[in-house]
Amino acid sequence: MKTRREVLQSLIISIGGGTLLSACEGVAQVIPSDSRRMRFYSEREAALVARISDLVIPRTDTPGALDVNVPGFLDALMADWANAQTKRNRRIELGELERLLGDEFMSAPLPEAEQLLASLDTAAFTGRPARYGGYRSLKALITQAYFASEAGALQEQRWVAVPGRWDPCVEIQ
Amino acid sequence: MADFDAIVVGSGMSGGWSAKELCEQGLKVLVLERGPEIKPERDYVDQLAPWQEKNLDRISQDEISKHYYKQYPGVAYAVKESNKHFWVKDDEHPYETAEGTEYDWLRGYHTGGRSIMWSRQSYRMGPQDFTANKDENIAIDWPVRYEDIAPWYDYVERFAGIAGNRDGLTQLPDGEYQPPFELTCAEKEFKTRVETAFPGRHVIQARVAHITKVTDEQRALGRSNCQSRNRCHFGCTFKAYFSSLHATLPAAERTGNLTMLHNAIVQSVEYDATTNRVTGVRIVDAETNQRRVFTSRLVFLNASTIASAMILLQSKSESFPNGLANSSDQVGRNLMDHISGAGATGLIHGFENQTVFGRRPGGIYIPRYANITEHDKPYKRGFGYQGGATPLGNAGGQKAGIGKAFKESHGAPGPWRVNIGAFGEHLPHPDNRVTLSGNTDKWGNPLALLSVNYTENEHIMLEEARKDAVAMLEAAGCTDIASAPVSLTVPGNRIHEMGSARMGRNPATSVLNGWCQAHEVPNLFITDGSFMTSSACQNPSLSYMAFSARAAKYAVELMEEKVI
Repeated sequence: MKTRREVLQSLIISIGGGTLLSACEGVAQVIPSDSRRMRFYSEREAALVARISDLVIPRTDTPGALDVNVPGFLDALMADWANAQTKRNRRIELGELERLLGDEFMSAPLPEAEQLLASLDTAAFTGRPARYGGYRSLKALITQAYFASEAGALQEQRWVAVPGRWDPCVEIQ
Repeated sequence: MADFDAIVVGSGMSGGWSAKELCEQGLKVLVLERGPEIKPERDYVDQLAPWQEKNLDRISQDEISKHYYKQYPGVAYAVKESNKHFWVKDDEHPYETAEGTEYDWLRGYHTGGRSIMWSRQSYRMGPQDFTANKDENIAIDWPVRYEDIAPWYDYVERFAGIAGNRDGLTQLPDGEYQPPFELTCAEKEFKTRVETAFPGRHVIQARVAHITKVTDEQRALGRSNCQSRNRCHFGCTFKAYFSSLHATLPAAERTGNLTMLHNAIVQSVEYDATTNRVTGVRIVDAETNQRRVFTSRLVFLNASTIASAMILLQSKSESFPNGLANSSDQVGRNLMDHISGAGATGLIHGFENQTVFGRRPGGIYIPRYANITEHDKPYKRGFGYQGGATPLGNAGGQKAGIGKAFKESHGAPGPWRVNIGAFGEHLPHPDNRVTLSGNTDKWGNPLALLSVNYTENEHIMLEEARKDAVAMLEAAGCTDIASAPVSLTVPGNRIHEMGSARMGRNPATSVLNGWCQAHEVPNLFITDGSFMTSSACQNPSLSYMAFSARAAKYAVELMEEKVI
């Protein structure tokens, strides 16, 4: 397995028309079915979404958001699910988010980028200022996409397809 | 010689029961379903895993605008990309509303109708529900009492499979139940605290149409126990929840007496004035546009309350210029639903080291107490609450934090949240009605024109329900209590529409008698929600089942006695 940073780098490199699959070999993934290229995000937007995804849900002892190709999933969602109005709004929100995070967010080493995002996250969940709405909705989608992936559902959330019974009160070990 | 002994119009919740009972008593029955066939093995999508769903199972926004602009906003919790074929496309099945009114007509046109998408809450009406109109001098009296229908509740509950607890409440009578889904530890605590603070209020397990201890009769139909997946809105491969498709239609089919016809839209009921009998129905084939008449000795309308009323209104003759069996002018009137849009949520503490396993299909129910155990209310009738207390779990990313801790927090159950929401009674009013629009659909059938308004009683009731909900959560020690301002649901939104051909004793003021038989035409029965003289506040499907079975028995007796 590549390091998380390598995955991120290869993902960004691949956006110009390369393959996303190569970044995620051997890892459960959600790939847009009809394309390996980004259909909604520009290269710059995709890189931003990828970095935020990586920081929000990093690889731990289970796969992270990049391992399951959350950016590709969100790109497909925007291309196929969103209508023109939503697409416009999301694009505007991404631009605002990029400004809020500052130029150094993309170029900084990961720990510093993490600091920047952590500060923004704190602000976004304190008093709910409207200017962070774009971040909150992106974060929600990243989270939902991750936990809808096979790795997110099975390894991280321990989702069971057929519980077979209802236990109303289980002591947590 | 008629083509069939009986024709049942509609294959949903009540039509399935009419078909089963009539077939089992030896009648040759034709069931007409206006939509296409649903085959579980082909059309159910309950086995999809989250990662197999497209776009988080969201229908694309453009598709919603084009096809599901009523269905999706009305039932967003259940209408998904994978199961959208269970819901009608609004542009193909339009309807109209009177100026200044709104209506959500939420439908599924296919085998089993809405019995495959329902939320399966199954409560009996209580003795008070059958006498309330009389006691309060509202509308007309029911021609039946609880004792008349109680044995039929027993009968349909045993066959359908209802998981519930026997709670000993007079206003919500106990039934023939399979084991209930046990309350969570937080719900047990909530129950204790609420019942201590408010003697006369009760927190009980939801009673739901799910098999939890399968009977031989159910097994013989290929049904099995609920697997606690909570995938019911997508169909059920285990056939564990009750639907026409899982239970009544297969039971009818195995008698050898059932003929099922799909894509058959009934336009009118044929009537013979010389014998004063209906003689069959006229249909248009939804796919070929061909028209034809099927004849029968008996007709059961189970098309759902709006559609059944429209069929009667379309069946005009010299004898019935205002629509079949409509000399009373009550057909289409008194359209009711239930009302929601009031409730509260809050966090309940002390269960941080506990969680649940499995995804049960129901939660808690707080039966009606207003004007039953508490008599200080500024409104008539009352409401029940549905809800639950479960771990908050994955907040869908709507919480602070990033990185490893954020990621792993989703595996933890998190704080426990209580939520309760009211389902209230809607008083009958003759001006709330469906009529025929001057416009037609692509088959030339008149569109429904709906005109329903709520009155002061509904508004006041929900304001009080909101306050009561907050008070109960406070009494239970909840924190972070949130209760949105009352937002009364659009009429029809609860998908409990009923009342358009009410039963009563007097043919001058009602359409049906106490057997769901048309006063004016003895071989015409209506056993969908049309017959309801008042709405009560309980989810109504179980009552439709019981009245359907009872009416079918009665109709066959009349046939045997050569009365019809």
